Amino acid sequence: MTMRTSNSRNLNIYRILFAFLALAMLSACDSSENLGGPRRITYWEKWSGFESEAAEKVVARFNEIERTKAKSESGYRPIEVKYVSVARIEQKLLVAIAGGNPPDVAGAYTLMLYPYVDKGAVLDLTPMLKKAGISRDQFLPSVWDLGRYHGRQWALPTTPATTALHWNRRLFSEAGFDPDIAPRTIEELDHYAERMTKWEVIGPNGASEIRTGYCPEIPDENKRLLQVGFLPSEPNWWNYAWGNYFGGDLMSDTGEVTTLSPENIRAYEWVASFSRKLGVQNVQRFVSGFGNFSSPQNAFMSGKIAMEIQGVWMYNFIENYAPGMKWGVAPFPHPEKSPQLQSTTFVDADLIMIPKGSANPDEAFEFIKYLMSQEGMELLCLGHRKFSSLIAVSENFYRDHPHPYIRIFRDLALSSNRVSSSKTGIWAEYRREMSNAVGRIQNLNVSPRDGLTEVQSRITNAEQRNQMMLTRRGLSK
Amino acid sequence: MNSRRLTGLLFCLPWFIGFGVFMLYPMVAALYYSLSDYSVLLPPVFIGFDNYIELFSDDIFWKSLNNTVVYASGAVLLSMLTSLTLALLLNSRVRGMAFYRTVFFLPTLMPVVAGSILWMWMYTGDGGIINTFLETVGITGPAWLADPRFAKPALILMAVWGAGHAMVILLAGLQDIPEHLYEAALLDGANWWHRLIHVTLPMITPVIYFNLIIGIIGSLQVFTQAFIMTGSTGSPERSTLFYVLRLYNVAFQDLRMGYACAMAWILFILVLGLTMIMHRTSARWVNYER
Amino acid sequence: MSADNPLQRSSRWLHLPLFVLGLIFLFPLAWLAASSLQPREQVGRIPPQWLPRMHYLEEDGRSIRVTPPESVGSDQLLVEPQAGPDSGRRILVSVASYQNGSITQSVQVADVVERRTFPAELIQAVPSEFVYVREWQISKYGQTQPRQFYVAPEAISISIEPVLGNYTEAIRALTAGEASKRLPIGELLSRTRWPWTEPEAIGTDITFLTYLSNTLVVAILGVLGTVISSSLVAYGLARVRWKGREALFTVILATMMIPFPVLMVPLYGVFRTLGWIGTLMPLWVPAWFAGAFNIFLLRQFFLTIPEDLTDAARIDGCSEFAIYWRIMLPLAKPALAVVALFHFLFAWNDFLGPLIFLTEPDTFTMALGLQQYQSQHGGSEWHLLMAASLLLVLPIIVLFFFTQKTFIQGISTTGLKG
Repeated sequence: MTMRTSNSRNLNIYRILFAFLALAMLSACDSSENLGGPRRITYWEKWSGFESEAAEKVVARFNEIERTKAKSESGYRPIEVKYVSVARIEQKLLVAIAGGNPPDVAGAYTLMLYPYVDKGAVLDLTPMLKKAGISRDQFLPSVWDLGRYHGRQWALPTTPATTALHWNRRLFSEAGFDPDIAPRTIEELDHYAERMTKWEVIGPNGASEIRTGYCPEIPDENKRLLQVGFLPSEPNWWNYAWGNYFGGDLMSDTGEVTTLSPENIRAYEWVASFSRKLGVQNVQRFVSGFGNFSSPQNAFMSGKIAMEIQGVWMYNFIENYAPGMKWGVAPFPHPEKSPQLQSTTFVDADLIMIPKGSANPDEAFEFIKYLMSQEGMELLCLGHRKFSSLIAVSENFYRDHPHPYIRIFRDLALSSNRVSSSKTGIWAEYRREMSNAVGRIQNLNVSPRDGLTEVQSRITNAEQRNQMMLTRRGLSK
Repeated sequence: MNSRRLTGLLFCLPWFIGFGVFMLYPMVAALYYSLSDYSVLLPPVFIGFDNYIELFSDDIFWKSLNNTVVYASGAVLLSMLTSLTLALLLNSRVRGMAFYRTVFFLPTLMPVVAGSILWMWMYTGDGGIINTFLETVGITGPAWLADPRFAKPALILMAVWGAGHAMVILLAGLQDIPEHLYEAALLDGANWWHRLIHVTLPMITPVIYFNLIIGIIGSLQVFTQAFIMTGSTGSPERSTLFYVLRLYNVAFQDLRMGYACAMAWILFILVLGLTMIMHRTSARWVNYER
Repeated sequence: MSADNPLQRSSRWLHLPLFVLGLIFLFPLAWLAASSLQPREQVGRIPPQWLPRMHYLEEDGRSIRVTPPESVGSDQLLVEPQAGPDSGRRILVSVASYQNGSITQSVQVADVVERRTFPAELIQAVPSEFVYVREWQISKYGQTQPRQFYVAPEAISISIEPVLGNYTEAIRALTAGEASKRLPIGELLSRTRWPWTEPEAIGTDITFLTYLSNTLVVAILGVLGTVISSSLVAYGLARVRWKGREALFTVILATMMIPFPVLMVPLYGVFRTLGWIGTLMPLWVPAWFAGAFNIFLLRQFFLTIPEDLTDAARIDGCSEFAIYWRIMLPLAKPALAVVALFHFLFAWNDFLGPLIFLTEPDTFTMALGLQQYQSQHGGSEWHLLMAASLLLVLPIIVLFFFTQKTFIQGISTTGLKG
């Protein structure tokens, strides 16, 4: 008898336990589907700081338009976008999509898009775009094409960007260069870079002095870098793209892996030359003292680096963190012997897409439509101090644009030497491999030829694997 | 079934459910996934041993395994030595022993995230506090986390900072050693060193063994420090790309869950094998008599 | 204890190595505290300094906080241009570019840079030994343009005082949503989104308190679950005599060897099926199903409680559950405290779990929130990161000092009996 009662009591406690669990589960799920209220959708973006603030404003504007519409149209349920700024979106978004709990609409980097498409993580926008009358001819073609893959449109550009050489006018003047004229060739760039490299040198008597140039005659323990003219690893964002400036490419138009080309080797020889001239260890120590990109301690804005490759957004950061800094912009130099490579630029854009599993794809698309309208686009792009992805712009858009060099960037987007991310499902992996190889090349631990050979073989394999996966799923080209 | 057994099983029910749902099923599922091409979003496609074949021919897999083994050996050995030294020093009637114990134990309370950020800040190459300190004694410090040769040692050093945990366990072991053993040793005229080698260490071998097992299993799973301090790619030059970091990347960045499950199973077999080897060999040096 | 235990010899020379080692172990913590109290401009200085230094400038009998002085360089003139890109600002120009009330500057006209001349009012000639300082901004989330000064170095005074404002600034920084960061700290915290508020609730913000309450929810529900479920299982293994319990105990012990990373990928699939990805559930529900380590710990403890106590109760007709609930649990309080404490610590510090299972900032725990902030702003705002890290570790340290005995005993016994 005792045992029987004990068992039923046992069951009781479990009942309580499970009731508790069930309660907690219920409270975690929200079932507040309000029929008359606004249609709420979630929008994840990757921006932070003032870029995020600009996006928040655009979202607020959209919500306001929707509310006004609801007031004038009885029965219309306005869409309400909830903006969420997500750090490291490249890590979080995929986990959310795969977990079946994605946002309704999300911002993305181009590097994320193609792998996502191949994994079936993105909604195909093509039919919706057709219905809405949004088409390529309204956009800068190079920017529109970033969202195109396997012949379908998966994402649209929000804010476009191109890259160019940025230089610090004050450091140019100090080194005796004309602050208004940038180097035009790689060879000139090398010359400028040397003249703007400065060391603190400890003399034999312990006194320190400042020396200019690469100072190879002084042993490393007696010198410390104060300023560098040009450093390919700062910022390290396009470390895979140096080949483009020398006429190379990572993938041919037909989709072959072309890491190991004479042009690419030449490019990375050039990259490695800076490590040789400055000393690997000196560079590592110098670089580890740099502040975060978006801070006044940014290497370029704090004058530690005189020239660097940067994108159109840089103006906004300079205004925020180094107001009053004198700087200039010009297309990145080309090798003296290859004048046909002038105005080479990397075209990129922040993309917006609807993840697979989005609970409200139609509402999400309405929001995208607003972002692609002239008003939404210009609101956002002006907030980011960038040019517009659309060809049609309001009359005063460029004239009143606060960015002093905005036209240079826009024209670069039309340059015949523009390049962008390779369209392959293994693009993220390709970049990772390149990053790793370039790191070793810069640390002089591997020759450019050997480093690139390794990448070539690894990526060729990965590409084969990816094709096999696509075939298995009946998705192959 | 007799009612006692039923009662016992009912008491153990939470474990059975938890084991089934959060362990057994995942393990079996992982085994199946490891034999498939699986991206979560689409149903798995069975591909036989392709994942394992690719794994063993993948340089990065071997690199990550190598990194992990180097880190684990370094971290476990150095932490062990440090904690043993600390415990031996503290196992005396020094005034303020409780105070010192607290001092050495405090760092282990540091959440890994906070600790990693703190050490990142200290490891700054130019102007970091560690290099500044080294400079005052005439050493030009390396760039630590930015230098492929120093990144792993930097993480190992940080692990040694957490030696206080093992120290507390060892200290308890030391204080359990019966006094009469020392008295006997003294009567035999054993000096300080002999007593350490012949009395103290043999008596605490079970504790050392326990700490070794826990330490090895723990450091094979190293992830958070590297993820925060050197990024998910295990920079510089993949020198801090540890096994679990690689597993995380493959699973949650590339969404190659099948491949990741193959890695998970190999990790499981490794841990299992290591524990078994440790267990076998322990009979030779662990003193279970009390 | 009077026996001369050679390793328990009380000798003074032991203080020296202990003291040195103690300093080394405390050093990172001291640097954490020191950095968290420094003004923004002092962080990242070469060489680093320990004490927080504030710089002051006297103006009209008032003390103004300013940034650390920077050198101005060779002879310069301070002018206020009446037109051009810098009109209205006070700027420094070289003597050569100023002539008869006007300055020559490069300006951007369309895509071309031109040299143009603008009228400018001469404020003063700045001797080369003068320094440049800016008004100190209490919060980087303020919007006002700081004033700039060119003054003689003697005009700047230094005082050593901690910047406690870093802590509120860190709390602001950990807030998701840029516009909210500008709110007064009180209002910001009062708008916290709690784990139980409706996700779409308007007018709430994801603040530091959101992360804190998420962490506490995970920790407290987890502690409750662990204590209840593990003690149940431990009781079933230790005090209910049934065939097979030894075998089951061995199996349970064996599961201790399965590392979490082995399970994380398929577990993700399990939680996905349950619809838990992006919620706090994966972080605390499993705790309700008894962990091997805690079962082990509690079982060992239950075994030490004399059988007579429970046998007497059984004869009185108490059910097993009543014995467990009314007799064993009260007796096992110290061991339960150890289990609870360890689980709390685990939940507080856990990073990999939240990283994988949480997706949106409104569900983040403190550790994940801090890492997310670090991944975006690391490398420069060390003072804020240190302040935030200190906020993360402080509750643990406080908890430790209140429960030190349980702590040390818990670790010692679990270690020893292994």
